[in-house]
Amino acid sequence: MMRPPSNRLGALVVLTTVVFVLAGCSQFEPRDKRFYYRAFWNFALREDLAELDSEFNGVDFGHSNLYENLLLTGGKDVPAIEDRARKETLAFIATKPRLNPNEEAIAPTYMKLAWRAQNTFDEAHALHRATYDIMASDEPDKDRALRNVLAYYRESAYAITAKRLDHHRLDQLPYSKTFRQRFPLFNATIWSYHYLQVAVYDPLQAARDLAAKTQAVRPILATYRRYLEQPPVEWTFMPLTAGLSPSFAARYTEIANIFDNLHMLHDNISDILASELLPTWDAKRAEIYRLVDTYYLASADATNPMIVRDREHHH
Amino acid sequence: MNRPGLRSICAMIVLLCGLLPRPGLALDHDNLDPNRPIGMEDAYAIPKGEIGMEGGVRFNDRREGSTRVTFQPQIIYGAFYNAQIEIQGDLMSDPHTLVGAAKSGDLHLGLLYNFNTETISLPAFAARVEVDLPTGVNSKGVDTQMTGILTRSFGRLRAHLNAGYTILGSPQGQERPGTYRAVAAVSYPLGYPTSFRDTLIASLYTRESDLRGQRNHSGIEIGLRHQLTSRVVLDGGLGTEFAGPADRAALLGTIGLSVGF
Repeated sequence: MMRPPSNRLGALVVLTTVVFVLAGCSQFEPRDKRFYYRAFWNFALREDLAELDSEFNGVDFGHSNLYENLLLTGGKDVPAIEDRARKETLAFIATKPRLNPNEEAIAPTYMKLAWRAQNTFDEAHALHRATYDIMASDEPDKDRALRNVLAYYRESAYAITAKRLDHHRLDQLPYSKTFRQRFPLFNATIWSYHYLQVAVYDPLQAARDLAAKTQAVRPILATYRRYLEQPPVEWTFMPLTAGLSPSFAARYTEIANIFDNLHMLHDNISDILASELLPTWDAKRAEIYRLVDTYYLASADATNPMIVRDREHHH
Repeated sequence: MNRPGLRSICAMIVLLCGLLPRPGLALDHDNLDPNRPIGMEDAYAIPKGEIGMEGGVRFNDRREGSTRVTFQPQIIYGAFYNAQIEIQGDLMSDPHTLVGAAKSGDLHLGLLYNFNTETISLPAFAARVEVDLPTGVNSKGVDTQMTGILTRSFGRLRAHLNAGYTILGSPQGQERPGTYRAVAAVSYPLGYPTSFRDTLIASLYTRESDLRGQRNHSGIEIGLRHQLTSRVVLDGGLGTEFAGPADRAALLGTIGLSVGF
């Protein structure tokens, strides 16, 4: 017998009520995806410097694949990370992907554990991509374009602070260095990605035309590929923008700070996922969110103890 | 199929193809919208600020009656965080023979709102509200529809449940004043870990028939979404209805594309 429409509408009302009741649950969090800054230079890197773009697409796989594997193996299985997961990443990079991968398909568990941190990464990665596109494009006023994308980035509630953070203090948290000590090869591979990401700015900025840009990034790509084959395990700290692209860091200090802070956050999260001091997924999630909220998001600038104040800087 | 309808469909296809931008990641092949390519969707909206143009051609080879062709142009806009607005106007062959809410040329307005992202303990939930304005052939009254959507992943496999109810503003003859629809679907990204361009989707659905006294339409569909470029997704799907009225679908087929910018 057919139920009257009012009963069905009632069922929908119940469903909606359930949704709102769930809203009180601690794990209820918004998705909050935002489209990238729209401009004519979007995808200039992909179209004009495809070789470099392809490497960045590979890098996107690396972080997500690492986090998923650390989470699922409890951060203790050295062969699973150093051998299997790292080689999966290298195999993906070797395919020279023309498009960036779907990171939710690479790390479905991690994305469910710490979506807010991932969204923070996504926003910063979009800023990274925008800066490369601007550098690769024939945009005549690159300063203005970079100011615009930075302003757009800072509108986001997920924006990382543009202030300089004390990375050495952020590397002295109770669980810090767990990842690099247990998985030195993968750590050095991650740092190699960060090398590539920041080393290309000065050469791209200095090159006058597309041919010169193509030539300018070749030595960096060669060095990066050598690092992938022989990860630089002797490095004791992640590469910093000012060390590899000093002109870019001096001219666009806030953007450089955001990228260095982003890369430090990547290291912190690797340590949290690998550390036995945070034995449960709930504990890891809580610490990732505490870290992001307290030390990384720009919304915490007024109270963030990790910001390097001017006075400290001059010392 | 009548000639004006065919001309309209051809014109829209040409228009859509002409709007394809340069290859350049915008529209995401893993974000599932209704009819692209099968009649299900996931609980996620497109990102805030994104504009998408979607279109497709759907063939319904019925067990009784002529084959029906539908062109489905649609514009979607990520108007707010977690919300997308949709404007659509399906054009169908044999428009005078249609029954139910879907009429050729109706202006369709929709709002999809995603309440939350999926976490370890919670699925993602969304709600869709739609109205069909009677701008089409033989269309009377404003039809409204509300759908609840749930997405839950199990590893890389994602499961989706859609449950909706349509209320006809002005039912004619034997048309039901309201019909329900329920879909259970799964999607899976193909190619991991070396390729991330394709998503396979399969669904099982049942919906109340448009006319009183007839059985539910029940069927299965399978589809594929392929990321062609950063901004363009191609899709294709097939399906059949294994139960329903005499004029139920013997074979359903859809091809389409989505462009995000």
